[in-house]
Amino acid sequence: MDFMRSIFIAATGLRAQSGRMRVIAENIANANSTAANSATDPYRRRVPSFSTSFDRDLQATVVSMGRVRTDGSDFTVRNEPGHPAADGTGNVKYPNVNTLIETVDMREAQRSYEANLNVITATRRMIARTIEILRA
Amino acid sequence: MTTPNIAASAYAAIQRAANGVTPASKPNTQGNGFGQMLQNVLGDITSKGQQMDAKAMAAANGKGDLVDVVTAVAETEVAVETLVSVRDRMIQAYEEIMRMPI
Repeated sequence: MDFMRSIFIAATGLRAQSGRMRVIAENIANANSTAANSATDPYRRRVPSFSTSFDRDLQATVVSMGRVRTDGSDFTVRNEPGHPAADGTGNVKYPNVNTLIETVDMREAQRSYEANLNVITATRRMIARTIEILRA
Repeated sequence: MTTPNIAASAYAAIQRAANGVTPASKPNTQGNGFGQMLQNVLGDITSKGQQMDAKAMAAANGKGDLVDVVTAVAETEVAVETLVSVRDRMIQAYEEIMRMPI
């Protein structure tokens, strides 16, 4: 049934967005994670990606979360001579996570999730209204 | 059908109804009548209900995915609602005929 298929397709969107939310949570949680010493790198921001695939069971294109890549941009450097991870000049490498960007990404994931939820709600309402014809 | 308890009792009721249908009580033995159709749908719903139960239990144990539970519940709900509506309609039509003065 097409209605059930649209619910399942929207469910793949829900799964993808919840995976994205997990990556954003990792980024925000590790926003201040420095390395143990100056030789190693701190936490590197991770970027989720989405991929389209054709589901044979559903006979429809669905979305799934693809590989999670790392953000190659430069680390934030702060001058904190007393820090255990500080190098010879007193600079400490902090993760390349910008909490503001993560917050915006989070908002986008939230909106996408809600959009998929709305698809499910609307589909269910359409099914219910159709079944109601039988009862009248 | 939002709590597993209600779902479980509804599913048990359906299973009882499915077991209660004996071949002797079927008016049409051709295999393609309304009774046969009901029985097929009941079997389908029973298996869907079992899948839904398994997913709900897995989610309650913290192993399953919440989205899976939601889709399984929606699927079972649609199937049960459709079956119940069709059955009610059929019985209503039957009663209408039975009330006809001869």
